[in-house]
Parts: sequence; C-alpha cells; structure tokens
Amino acid sequence: MNPIDPRIHQALDGDIARESLPPELRRVVDRLESAAALLAAAVPPQSAGLETRVMAAVRRPAPSGERVRRLLRWFATPQAVTFRIRPAWSLALAAAIVLLTLVPADERGPALGEHEGIAQFVGRFPDAHSVHVAGSFNDWRTGTIPLEDRDHDGVWRATVVLPTGAYEYMFVVDGERWVPDHWADRLVEDDFGRENSIVIVRATWR
Amino acid sequence: MRPGLILVLLASPLAAQSERDRLEGRVPAVAIPTVDSLVQLATREDLPTEPLVQKALEGGAKHQPAVRIAAAAQAMLGQLRDARALLVRAGDAPPATAAEVTTIYAALKRGLPAPVVERIVAALPHEPRGSALHAVADLATHHFEPDSAAALIIDAARQGLRGERLLDVSTAVLHEVQRGHSRAEAVAVVRRQLPNVPSPPKPAGASVAGARRPGTTALPPP
Repeated sequence: MNPIDPRIHQALDGDIARESLPPELRRVVDRLESAAALLAAAVPPQSAGLETRVMAAVRRPAPSGERVRRLLRWFATPQAVTFRIRPAWSLALAAAIVLLTLVPADERGPALGEHEGIAQFVGRFPDAHSVHVAGSFNDWRTGTIPLEDRDHDGVWRATVVLPTGAYEYMFVVDGERWVPDHWADRLVEDDFGRENSIVIVRATWR
Repeated sequence: MRPGLILVLLASPLAAQSERDRLEGRVPAVAIPTVDSLVQLATREDLPTEPLVQKALEGGAKHQPAVRIAAAAQAMLGQLRDARALLVRAGDAPPATAAEVTTIYAALKRGLPAPVVERIVAALPHEPRGSALHAVADLATHHFEPDSAAALIIDAARQGLRGERLLDVSTAVLHEVQRGHSRAEAVAVVRRQLPNVPSPPKPAGASVAGARRPGTTALPPP
C-alpha cells in the first residue's frame, strides 16, 4: 500500500489551504471529497434511534415471493427441537410403541372377563347359503350366531366369547337343517333322535 | 313366619313365571303346561330347573312335536333325580347344588358308568368335578377303559392338577396314542409326566380378534 501524503490529510482537515497543494495532490483531495459526498448520501439519516430503525425494518412487509422462499428455506433447514420428558414416561412410551409394533392390530382379541373364554366353531358345508350355530349358550336361538365363509371354500367359521363351561350345540344350515359338528370329539344324544356336539369353553385362553 | 321362608315362597312363583315366559312362543303351546309342571316339580325337589327349560327350548327350536318335548323333559327330570342320588351315594354332603347335579347328569349322559362317576365324586370331595368327569368321558369316548381313565385323572388331581388342567391330561394321553403308543402305554407315559402336561395352544390371534359375544351381532332368523 502506498503511504498517503500527510498534506492530503491536512487539506481534508482544513489545516492548510487546498490552493497551497501541488496540482496532483489537489486532484486527489477533490476525488476523496467526491467519494465522501457519495457515501454521505447513501447512509440514512442518523436522527432515528437503533430500535426505531430495527422495528421499521421488521414491520416492512416482505414481498410475497420472498415470504414463500423464506418458508421453504425454514422447512429445508435443520431445526433443533428440544423435548423434555420424565424417564418413567419415556419408558412407558417406548413400551407402548413396542407393543403396538409387535402385536398387529388384527391380532388383538376382545377383552375377556375372568370367567369368559373363546369358542371356535368350524364346519364344512360347501353348498350352504347360511350357517348358524345354536346351543345351550344362546337358548338354542337359530339366528343369533352366524358362521362366515369369507374365502368361499365351503368351510364356515365363527369365533364367540362365552362364559366358561360346557355347552351342547348344533349347526343350523340354511335356516332349517340341523347338523351335528362332525369334527367335534364330544357328542351326546339329544333325546330327539340326533346327537348334539359339546364344546368346553376354558378360561385359560387369554 | 321367618323372613327367609317368606322370600322363598314369593320367589318361587316369580321364577316359574319367568321360565314360562322364556318358553312362550318358542315351544309348542300344548307342551308348555307339561314342561311347566315338571319345572315346578323340580323346584319343589330342589333339583335344577335350567336343564329342563333348555331341553324344551331345544325341542322347540328343532321343531319337535309337543309330545316328544314333554317326553324328553320328563326323562330328564328322572335323570336329574338319578344324578342327585349318585351324589348322595358317593358321600357328597347334602344339599347338592344345582350345578353339581347338572354336572353329574351330564357325565352320565355322556355314557360314563355310574360307579366310575361315584369314584370320581368321592375322590374329589370339595371341588368342582366337571372337568375331571369330562376328561374321563373324553378318554372313554376313545375306547379307554373308564376305570383306568378315572384312575389317571384322580392321580393327576392328587398331584395338584385342578379344574380345566385335568382336561389337558386326557388331551396328552390322546396325543400319545396319535404318536403310535397303545392306549395302556399312552396312559403310562402321561402318568410318568404328571403333573407336567402341556397346556393347550392358544387360538390364532387373527381368529380371536373376530370373536363376538352372542347377542351383540344378533341377526334376524333366516
């Protein structure tokens, strides 16, 4: 960097008259004063305080394009999130997540009472239009417990929650034909010339 | 007159009325007076009435003629009397509960010889015998000697197995037969394992999820 002639400083400070300078130094002083005038014109008036100027800048509405860009930038920029939780709650949350993850929704059965169990009824009736099960668990009503053949393979199924105990039952095919459960191990005469099947509902299946 | 006796006298006609109401419209009208009189007779004799009502409802649902329903209920009353007599013979402390009489009736109905049922009742004096009797009947159904089946189940009870776990004993014996053992061998194998017999597998989760309580999805009769 070239050292500045000290006479330039003196001329700018008004310590010496500009006319006393050689012509080349006088041109430098002229250029410096022009530059200073330009800078003074670009700086806003300093009469307002810092707070006023900051608030004015904040309140100034940004152009809509700028706002969208700013929003997108916010979404794209990693943000620090602070999450405060007690360790006991965090453990419970983790356990709940594990439970929900490991046990699929379709495998959660109904809540069973202390003296309730599950009875599964399965029968093969390829030509049936409807199959129900009736027994001592439902006062032998024929239309209350339907079996379903969802995949249309002729095998009809129903899963029922019942109080624990032993029950006699039969299938009712198409609303009128009473048929024993041929896959049941336990059969007993029904006193009407046919055989009822017996299902034992256990409380241990929970 | 004692308050308790007054309550019994008041409650009996009310109970009889509610059972008649259950039969109305579900059992041929001409059968109802006979069934009703049998129910009242059972009440007076301290016998269970629910099996009689169930038999009448079953007959009605199966479109049986009135005379056949009445005959079935009449026969059942006699079998309930036999069941209570068996409990007395086996030394069960009176009065026999309706549940106990019904349990013994069901065991006899499944074909267990009365002496075998008596033996089990006497061996399990202070606990429900329903599962024990079903376990023995399950083996008898598969052509096991009822006496040896009863002996095995009584052994299992003496080794601490109770209630529904006794059903697992008969299931274990039947599994041994499926594995190729003779009946005598199967009984011997399971007796050696006692009281460690496997529990039954749980039903598949997906099928349990669809389980419904009767009545919650009631549909009109087809």
